[in-house]
Amino acid sequence: MSDHSQTSQKTKGILALYKYLDDTCGAMDSIEKNLSEFKGYQVYSPTSYHELIDRAEVKYGPSQVRWFTLVGALSGIAIGFAMPLLMDYDWPIVVGGKTAGIYSLPAYVIFGFELMVLLGAIATIAGMLIMGRIPNPHAHIFHDKLTDDTFGIFVPGVNKESRQAKLLQEHGAIDLIETA
Amino acid sequence: MSDVVWKKDVSDVNDGILVGLRAPHPSFYLALSVSVFCLIIGAVAWGYQIAVGTGVAGLNSPVYWGVYITDFVFWVGIGHAGTLISAILFLFRAKWRNSINRSAEAMTVFAVITAGLFPLIHVGRVWYAAYWMLPLPNTNNLWVNFRSPLMWDVFAISTYLTVSLLFWYMGLVPDLASMRDRVKGFKRLLFGFMSFGWVGTVRQWHHYEAGYGFLAALATPLVLSVHSIVSWDFAMSMQPGWHTTIFPPYFVAGAILSGCAMVYTLVLPLRHMFRMEGFILDEHLEALIKLTLLTSTIVAYAYAVEFLIAWYSGNPYEWKIFVKRAVGDYSFYFWTMVFCNCVFPIAFWSKRIRNSKFWCFVICVLVNVGMWFERYNIIISSLVEDFVPGSWGHYEPSIVEMAITLGSFGWFFTWLLIFCRFFPLVSMSELKLIMPKPLNPTKRKA
Repeated sequence: MSDHSQTSQKTKGILALYKYLDDTCGAMDSIEKNLSEFKGYQVYSPTSYHELIDRAEVKYGPSQVRWFTLVGALSGIAIGFAMPLLMDYDWPIVVGGKTAGIYSLPAYVIFGFELMVLLGAIATIAGMLIMGRIPNPHAHIFHDKLTDDTFGIFVPGVNKESRQAKLLQEHGAIDLIETA
Repeated sequence: MSDVVWKKDVSDVNDGILVGLRAPHPSFYLALSVSVFCLIIGAVAWGYQIAVGTGVAGLNSPVYWGVYITDFVFWVGIGHAGTLISAILFLFRAKWRNSINRSAEAMTVFAVITAGLFPLIHVGRVWYAAYWMLPLPNTNNLWVNFRSPLMWDVFAISTYLTVSLLFWYMGLVPDLASMRDRVKGFKRLLFGFMSFGWVGTVRQWHHYEAGYGFLAALATPLVLSVHSIVSWDFAMSMQPGWHTTIFPPYFVAGAILSGCAMVYTLVLPLRHMFRMEGFILDEHLEALIKLTLLTSTIVAYAYAVEFLIAWYSGNPYEWKIFVKRAVGDYSFYFWTMVFCNCVFPIAFWSKRIRNSKFWCFVICVLVNVGMWFERYNIIISSLVEDFVPGSWGHYEPSIVEMAITLGSFGWFFTWLLIFCRFFPLVSMSELKLIMPKPLNPTKRKA
């Protein structure tokens, strides 16, 4: 199967547009009760309303981004202490009679802290991107208003006449579009 | 902020903010022209210094840290409010930060970049700067001294710049996607590339929110640590007037004061230039003024405690420096600092003044002036007179140093204005969160 037909299979279905947050939440709750009929559905929101994030937490579980942050931060601490210690080992610089190496650890807390923050932040961004499936050059933009003021629920593989479409309309969809 | 009355709703956000980008007020072009002019003056002065040598600066024994280090500390300080507003106020769920966090974050990024120029300017032979500032071995294969506060500072500032940039850019991603969805052709391709193909699925928002929270949690101690580490550039030395334990909190409070004042100084005219009055409300600006008042009070307390410690220490050198700061050759700088940072902001206790944009703007500009003089006062008055009277001297900044300082303002404002011209000054996705939620009116009645 070609890439194009694979993509079109993923994007073929119906897109229900909602004006209101509570309508969208109501539709999401109904979908979760009939999950077998809505396989692969996606919800779109112009911003991160907590009502939707709470439902996402139930659907996807706690975000795994936290593990990226933890691993990044711990690596930062390790590198932050290892770097000056190894450089001290390579060539100790004794300034003002102060011994280099393990005896100067208090001064190296700065590097441990800074690199913890730096690598923790970089790893967090990496986690946000990987878990959010971006960058995605093939991202399909179903409707331009979904990043503006409209909510959307996309259900793949069904049409306007389906039971799924009726359920989405019952929850106040302002428009129902068949996507190619 | 619960009593905020919005005249616009969520549907107005993208239209209102992005339309403002298309045709800014003519004053924008005037401001940009002035900034570029100042930038050119600074660039010419720096070029002259590189060609002739650092002798053209007023630096000489015993003052080798002059205006350049003053500028460095000033600009790092300016950057602090951005991270405070975007990270700390985010964790405290202060809703008013959502309308000004983007401009504050942009200010942070450009202020820290500006600050980063000054060590390069200060060292003179800028092409050798990497050997002095990065952990690279020199020609004798010696590593840098990791017990030096200057090396701590290199790591602190570069971490701060990187984290601020990441925080700022991740906040921009959903807005870039909104911009992509409003344009066609090459612009759509460009914004699509810049927004990483963001489509706003709930799954994306779920991980985005989690990551944003972790970034805020990581950036919060960074706000407090960066200026603490900058203060150790001074406090870790034995110089009278510098070697005190109050420096880290004192520097952090000062940095946040200058940053808040600078955010107000920037946001007020930018709000007018890009017609954002409906999104950056007067209540949000008043909240910013209250934060400025709080930090001004902390700074005033720190000034008083610093004097008390100098007197109570029984160290005659320390006490003499403080007396001379108040009544000696450099007393003008000291009293400018005291009046601008501690006395004038007292007016903010009055609600009438807090709601007067003219007076708030004037006082915030004065606070910025005062904070520059604070750094000048700390650096110069301590360096001119140390423990050995035979080495005492005098310092006045040269015309080249002043031109480069002016150029740094030009550099900062030029980048900030260019950013505001092409990208939304207000975070559209975050602003929607503090506006009334789009709920179905028929259901609400039921």
